Amino acid sequence: MRMTTRRLTELALLTAAALIIFVIELRMPDIAIPGVKLGLANIITVYAVFRYRPGETAMLVAARILLGALFSPNPSTLLYSASGAALCLVGMLTVRKAIPARYIWLCSMMGAILHNIGQMTAAVLLMRTTAVLSLLPVLLLSGCIAGLFTGLCAQMLVTRLYKKPPHDL
Amino acid sequence: MTKKDPSRAPLIAVAVFVIVAALGSVVWLLVGMLRGADARRVEVVQGGNVLYTYDLATASPQTVRIEAPDGGWNEFTIADGEIRMTAADCPDQTCVHMGPLRAENLPIVCLPHQLVIRFEDADT
Repeated sequence: MRMTTRRLTELALLTAAALIIFVIELRMPDIAIPGVKLGLANIITVYAVFRYRPGETAMLVAARILLGALFSPNPSTLLYSASGAALCLVGMLTVRKAIPARYIWLCSMMGAILHNIGQMTAAVLLMRTTAVLSLLPVLLLSGCIAGLFTGLCAQMLVTRLYKKPPHDL
Repeated sequence: MTKKDPSRAPLIAVAVFVIVAALGSVVWLLVGMLRGADARRVEVVQGGNVLYTYDLATASPQTVRIEAPDGGWNEFTIADGEIRMTAADCPDQTCVHMGPLRAENLPIVCLPHQLVIRFEDADT
């Protein structure tokens, strides 16, 4: 399917919004555990998963991550966030058709867990040690909470911005 | 919902996945807390190699600087029976902000320099 100018503009706007959220979150005081984050920019990701085609969503997320690394104080974390985002996206895109709009929060929680698993896999491979693995339960728990929150935000966006139900693509 | 889903199996699978991950990590954390109560031996690992091991109960106070392969460095300090990262040349300072090593499930990690400080018996 060809992408219309309208669609491209919407996606660009969403990417910009996600990037702004990402940059604002960078300025917030962080919890001093590597990998633990609220991940507010994922509200846009979850929204796009349920409102746009998989390819479009993947482009949006890729653009957000690459551009986000430019603003990040530590660009070397790009590999971790990219692996996490990739796994998260694949998981959410796989199940999205089977998820009713009122269970988007659940899909988002699953995405957050997959994000943490992807991140941790990258960390184990890059650091060539399983020592970091003991951080995983802390990451998973914080991921569940963050994923629930961002998922509820995305769910409100999906259900309130449009009168028609999602999955009409 | 306007229409009933043909199958609820994927939704249930997602729910089970989330519940297992959440409960699993809670159990994992609790087990770690119970076991790690008297762990005093710590190790400093970089890129799969154990650089140093210390017994926090007997180690003399010291500050050690570790050069990373990429030219960066970290500095950890042992004092008062605690080990903590006291300095690093990276911009985010996450490892320094983590404070002293407290729990088995909360190793001090420096991602850019592939450095981990943790209690020794974490996976034995």
